[in-house]
Amino acid sequence: MAAPEVFNLAQVPITSHSFNADRTRVAVSLTSNDVQIFDRHGNDWKPTEVLSEHDKQITSIDWAPNSNRIVTSAQDRNAYVWQQTPDPQTGHLIWKPTLVLLRINRAATYVKWSPNEDKFAVASGARAIAICSFDPEGDWWVSRLLKKPIRSTVLSVDWHPNNVLLAAGSADMKARVFSAYIKDVDKRPAPSVWGEKLPFNTICGEYASPSGGWVHSVGFSPSGDVLAFASHDSTINIVYPGGPAIHTIRMTTLPLVTLAWTSEESIVAAGHDCQPFVFSGNAQSGWQLVGSLDDPNANKASGGSRSGFGGAPSPVGRLQSSAFNTFRNADSRGISSSPGSPISGPGGSGESELFTIHQNTITNIRAYESVGAGQVTKVSTSGVDGKLVVWDVSNVTPVSAGGLAGKMGNLSLR
Amino acid sequence: MDAFRKIDIDQYDEDVLPDSELFPTDPRDPSTLLTEAKQKAAAIRNNLSKGDVAGALDIVLSDPPYGPGVDEAKNLTLQTLVTILNTTKSTDIPPILKSLSQDSQDTLMKYLYKGMALPGWGDVSGSVLLGWHEKLTEVAGTGCIVRAMTDRRLV
Amino acid sequence: MSNVLRPYLAAVRSTLTAALTLEDFSSQIVERHNKPEVEVGGSKEVLLNPLTISRNENERVLIEPSINSIRLSIKIKQADEIERILCHKFTRFMMQRAESFIVLRRKPVKGYDISFLITNHHTDSMLKHKIVDFIIQFMEEVDKEISEMKLSLNARARVVAESYLSAFNS
Repeated sequence: MAAPEVFNLAQVPITSHSFNADRTRVAVSLTSNDVQIFDRHGNDWKPTEVLSEHDKQITSIDWAPNSNRIVTSAQDRNAYVWQQTPDPQTGHLIWKPTLVLLRINRAATYVKWSPNEDKFAVASGARAIAICSFDPEGDWWVSRLLKKPIRSTVLSVDWHPNNVLLAAGSADMKARVFSAYIKDVDKRPAPSVWGEKLPFNTICGEYASPSGGWVHSVGFSPSGDVLAFASHDSTINIVYPGGPAIHTIRMTTLPLVTLAWTSEESIVAAGHDCQPFVFSGNAQSGWQLVGSLDDPNANKASGGSRSGFGGAPSPVGRLQSSAFNTFRNADSRGISSSPGSPISGPGGSGESELFTIHQNTITNIRAYESVGAGQVTKVSTSGVDGKLVVWDVSNVTPVSAGGLAGKMGNLSLR
Repeated sequence: MDAFRKIDIDQYDEDVLPDSELFPTDPRDPSTLLTEAKQKAAAIRNNLSKGDVAGALDIVLSDPPYGPGVDEAKNLTLQTLVTILNTTKSTDIPPILKSLSQDSQDTLMKYLYKGMALPGWGDVSGSVLLGWHEKLTEVAGTGCIVRAMTDRRLV
Repeated sequence: MSNVLRPYLAAVRSTLTAALTLEDFSSQIVERHNKPEVEVGGSKEVLLNPLTISRNENERVLIEPSINSIRLSIKIKQADEIERILCHKFTRFMMQRAESFIVLRRKPVKGYDISFLITNHHTDSMLKHKIVDFIIQFMEEVDKEISEMKLSLNARARVVAESYLSAFNS
């Protein structure tokens, strides 16, 4: 039952984060045109390198664990692959960018390496997904486009463990499974629940969100036999293609925007409610919300002292005076406790306060640490509040669906 | 002479999502829907005379008419619903809402907003709708409101 | 606070909380642009159903959500001619200084008195629940402000009339 590790990386939103293989370094984008790499020093992250080549805001970063390459996508319609190479003059290792010929004419929104790290998929606002593979003859990355039948901006993609199938969620309210088979790169995939013959751009499945929300996030289970997607109508849907059976969980809270499988039978998902929720289930017994990794009630009791500092030895630790807390709360939580501030009854302008660790939307959730195949023990989240948090997935605070609704109702009505 | 400048070129973009695909049409026929709505209204009067508000709500919120071109059935359903809402005592509301299925809760939320959006009022009273809205939000959460925004099956 | 106002503000608060679920979204119509979709209106699929919350015919709030921005318009209570003038002056004063209010729109949506445009940049740089607090507080204050102005206007009129008429009183 380890408490979550909280790191305040910045005061601005973290658009995306990705760790390297041994999690000593993390690449993040702080709502800017640059990628910032942080190195871990004990309980602290120190900024070390900046990768700048994009000329519009970066939307997504993915760090390939084995080949140690970073791929980035941005709203300038480009993607770059960054590789560490020795500088010819000094011999230092520097990150060298390679432009990818994406052939898309709108923003690139999401990027993800395939499991074998020999190709990657770039989602875009051009109603297309670019599947990129390396062409050794030209010494560049070339792309092939998945276009039909996408009708709107693709918001996220995820690879099937067989390196061929690709799931995509888009703003046209559908989650789809495509084949991204490229002849020169891939071996013929074994038949799976998604189909047997899989030439490029085969549609293996198309699932609409139940109440018409944009599909924010998609994810294959570790075995690849199950697909989960979270959509803007505050639902999370788990698809078993064989049935075909779709389990829908309607949340009583705000929409989820990102999800990660932690085992074949459990998912962690987070979004606008600022806390990661845990879902579990299987094909037979169905799926349900189990609880949350965050415990707003405990945080409330401790007066939020945990948030923001996370037990890390803080240089201002001895300054835990009430004056210090007043200013810190005003700064990080927006609480003005100045005397005479208007406190009116419920429904009025009484100040509302969030007791979650993240103080704003969580935009990104990733597996952080795992044992064996697909058994994730820790996940990391980053969000609009500039925090990076590592959670132990076994540390679940149960919430009953009704209780949650009541709580959120109170929260929103206060 | 500059008429060509006013042409909406985006309508020729074949990738764009037209309204017809974005807003699903009710598969049922408009006239069947209207008869159904009338039947429901009659059944509900029966339920209300017995004081069975939960049962009445259940009937009116199941399979509501949606999509374009069925305004008559939609308005009748709204009227029937408003009658139910008006006749319920405010202390009875929370248990009734808890007994509703999630589908019905979502549909009720849509009707509450539709009622509030009506330009002319008639027998719809704002405070009644607001009272129901507040209690429904307590039971079904903000997720229910989000679904009222996203669902394009407009009631 | 009156009992009727409370559910109205509560409904606005919960609806606004639900609508403020914004994310960064680059235009799919014009390349390399990033505009509030609710204002552009070019891609219908990223707009959501507009919702109205109303207390009565003269007091209502319209919330138009989209993927990266929402527009919130308020129709302020105007019972008589004086309130109408005061409300017009008051909202005009604010909207002429819209950039100091960050989330204020320079022009109200047709049929409403004042509009706010909240984009994902605002929700990124400010705490979401604090924006909601601000709007609710604004709605509370504006009614109070206008009725106070009306009272002081009436009081002033009385004083003026008294001192004017006292000249004929000898």
